[in-house]
Order: sequence, then structure tokens, then C-alpha cells
Amino acid sequence: MQLTREEERIYDGERGWANQTCMKILVRLGELFGAEKLIPIDSAHVSGVSYKTLGDAPIEFLRTLADSDGRVKVRTTLNPQSLDSQYLRKKVEESLQEPQLDILRQFERMGLTQSLTCTPYYLHRLARGSHHAWAESSAVVYANSVLGAWTNREGGPSALAAAIIGKTPDYGIHRAGNRRPNVTVKVEAKLTDPTKLGALGIFLGKTLGDKIPTITGLPNTSRDDLKQLCAAIATTGMTNMFHTGSKTTTEGAERICVDSDQIERTIEELSGGTGKPDLVFLGCPHCSLDEMRRIAELIEGKRVRASVEFWVCTSCHVRRAAAAYVKRIEEAGGHVLDGVCTVVSWTEKLGIRTIMTNSAKTAYYAPTLNKAEAVLAPMEDCLESTLR
Amino acid sequence: MSIKPISFLGGVDPADGKIIEKKHDLCGTCIKDKILVFPHGHGSTVGSYVMYSLAKKGLGPAAIINQTADPVVVVGAIIANIPMIDQVDIGKFRTGDTVEVDGSKGVARILKRRES
Repeated sequence: MQLTREEERIYDGERGWANQTCMKILVRLGELFGAEKLIPIDSAHVSGVSYKTLGDAPIEFLRTLADSDGRVKVRTTLNPQSLDSQYLRKKVEESLQEPQLDILRQFERMGLTQSLTCTPYYLHRLARGSHHAWAESSAVVYANSVLGAWTNREGGPSALAAAIIGKTPDYGIHRAGNRRPNVTVKVEAKLTDPTKLGALGIFLGKTLGDKIPTITGLPNTSRDDLKQLCAAIATTGMTNMFHTGSKTTTEGAERICVDSDQIERTIEELSGGTGKPDLVFLGCPHCSLDEMRRIAELIEGKRVRASVEFWVCTSCHVRRAAAAYVKRIEEAGGHVLDGVCTVVSWTEKLGIRTIMTNSAKTAYYAPTLNKAEAVLAPMEDCLESTLR
Repeated sequence: MSIKPISFLGGVDPADGKIIEKKHDLCGTCIKDKILVFPHGHGSTVGSYVMYSLAKKGLGPAAIINQTADPVVVVGAIIANIPMIDQVDIGKFRTGDTVEVDGSKGVARILKRRES
């Protein structure tokens, strides 16, 4: 790789251990993927925040980075953690809270914002064609496909290295030629609600590997609905982006048709739960302001049944903007949890065995990460079984 | 030496450096101070942090030889300061061989074959 003189100085250790280590990570990854240079980024988004999924392994590394003056050079947001500061904090044992706080402290020392969300795009606008280094696969697909911003699918450590250097190696879909679709997906199924878009994503992720599809036949969908497709396609596959509409693929590209049977079968596979749900969960990925309003409207005048927990997850940022909706949801007996992701929280320790959700991504992960059965259903059905 | 990929998150016990992935042919083997030969890593990027943690506790491998490099192991080897080389025909190695690795030159040499 071709490095500038300043980049070389960093590489040789003249700017301290943290910068040197981060530069080595970027250069080595760049060489691995055939990059010729580093390019500046506008922002980074770092995953690997929940103590539940991380364990103790990274804490010392993060502390050492912070101790040796590792500081982010660009706006850097953080993924959700394993509990929220209100509701779950009272329920989760103390010994699991301290290491989580320690992880957040180290990130804070390095200058990352405590955004604690998987939807950083609700916090800051991204310019079309701007370059970023984001981990959190659902946000990567959303940024590339819906917002037209450019980011590879980083891992937690490489996104952090990019944040501290302020650059990323120029490979993958940072290059215009690599963003062209190379497979056509024709959706013949009627996707009547966003949960079906999620099921489509789960199906396509398994089928496409790392190919970039042009998807035709989608209904008129909002960005919020497309979020379900983004999250799900990244859950089962390595696809970094998709196109919608009629963008032409290279000649002779493969064509895939998806019919209603395939969507229904995918939903059945994801929806293995047979028991009554003890948690109904909305907000994977984190709810937008519009989604908070929709939930508040549907919950108006009703009460959450005593036999079920009802969680809505979002960022503290959206929570503040949605204060009136939050009030309505909580008055009805629901819990709006901010900064936490149900999938990486300690649900199994709270005795939760069956999770009902509108998110195909959550339904996919619940059996392994939450040791829970999943019931996948549209938001309206989720609320129907929650409320009396 | 294994022809199976290794996931450092969940596949290696950070407390003692033993491979704990159930169906792995090296399951139960401690990687401490060994030259670890395997095709490539797989699984979560948190695996890079696990490699750092192992090395800090003195439980890390002495060196890593991979058939193909993958981001998890590449990043882990950098932060844990473990010499690593890739694009090596790992079929040439046998468990028990005495091997020399020069990470900076990217060379591995079999010094002595395992006595069979």
C-alpha cells in the first residue's frame, strides 16, 4: 500500500502505540483486500459493546488503547449495550453491570459518543457518496442501500482502528465499480407488511452470499420498512448492499425469483415458538420516531396484559424526541428501553423463554443468543397479543 | 495443526488457552506457546480481542500459520503481537513437527519432522 509520510510515521510508532496499532490493522487489512491507499472517512460506527457478547476479553485491550492516547479523529458512534440505565439495571445482577460500565468508560475515554444504538443514521445525516467505516451489519446495508453513503462491513476492531486513524483502506464498496449489482432478484410474493420484508432478507442472505442484488417487485415501502430488509439480509449473508428498481445488472447475471411460498416457509422456520410469549419486543433495529408514534397510536387506551413483558427499544436520542409517545407506551404498562439491544441483553436470566417480535433478525438470533423460542409476526399482531 | 478453521470467540477458552469447540479435531489441545497451523479463522470479530487477551495472559500461540488470512485472525495477530504468516500450504505440516516462523519475512521452515 502507498502511505503518505505522516501515515508512515504513525506506522513506525512516532505517534504512540495506539495510533501505531490502529495503523497496522488498517494497512494489513488493506493489503489483504487489495487496497492501494487509505481514504478519509466522515464517521465510524463501532460494534462490540455488549458485555454479554464480548465477555472480559476486550476490556484490557480497550483500556490499553485509551491509556496510550487512542482518541477518535472522526465522529464515532457506538452500538447498543447489554442493559439500559433504568429498567434492566434494576433487574440484572450487579456483577454483570460493572464490566459493562467499564467497557463504556474506555470507549468514552477514546472520545466515542455514547449513542448506544444500531441506527446511528437517525442521529446524523450522511451525505450521499460520503465514506464511512461502520460495523453493525444492519446499519452498513442501510447506509449503502437506502442512504447512498459508502461503507464496507467492518468488524468491531477494524471500525475502531479506522475511527482512531480517521481513515479506512480503499477497497470493497468504497470503489464505485464494486457497487454495481451482479444478480437480479424478482420478488413475486406480495410483501404486505415489513415483517415479510425481513423474511425476504433472511431468505436472500442465505441465497446470495456476498453478491449485490437489484431487487424488483418490492411494494412502495418506507425507509423504516426497508430497515427490516437491511437487517435481515445482513444476518444470514455477507451482502453489503442492494439496489431497488430497475438498475441494470451486468449481462448474463444470475436471476432469482422469490415467491409467496418461499416467504411463508421462511417465516415458519423463524417462528419456532409454540408457547405463549413472555416477552413481546419491538425495536430491532432500534425504532425511529415514526415507529414510536405508530406504536403509541396503537397502544392508546389499552393496557399491557399482566402475563407478558412489552419492550420497545430505541436510542436515547429518539427517546428524547419521542417523549410524548414514550409516556403513552409506559402508561399502558410497556417499557421503552434505550441504548440496549434485546438480542445482546440478558433475557434468559430474566426467565424469558419465548420472544414474540416483528423483527426477522431477532427471530433468527433468539434461539442461540437468547436461548428463547421466537414467534415472528407483524407489529399489529405483536401488539394484539400484548394488549387487553 | 488442523485442517479445520478456528473461531477464537467461543472456540478457545480464554481462561486456559484450550480449544473447546466440540467438533474440532484439536478440541482439548492447549495452544499456549505452540505454532498453530490452521486454514483460517471464522466467526465473530470479537475473536481478535480474545487473541489479545490470551497473549496478555501468556496463553497465546507462539506463531500462527494460515492457508488464507481472514480479518479476525489478521487483526488479532496484530494487536496480540503474534507472528503470523499466510498463503502457506498447510498440508505440509504435521502436529508435532518442529517449525521456525519468521513473521517479518513471511517464512516458515520445518526444522524437524515429528518422530512417527
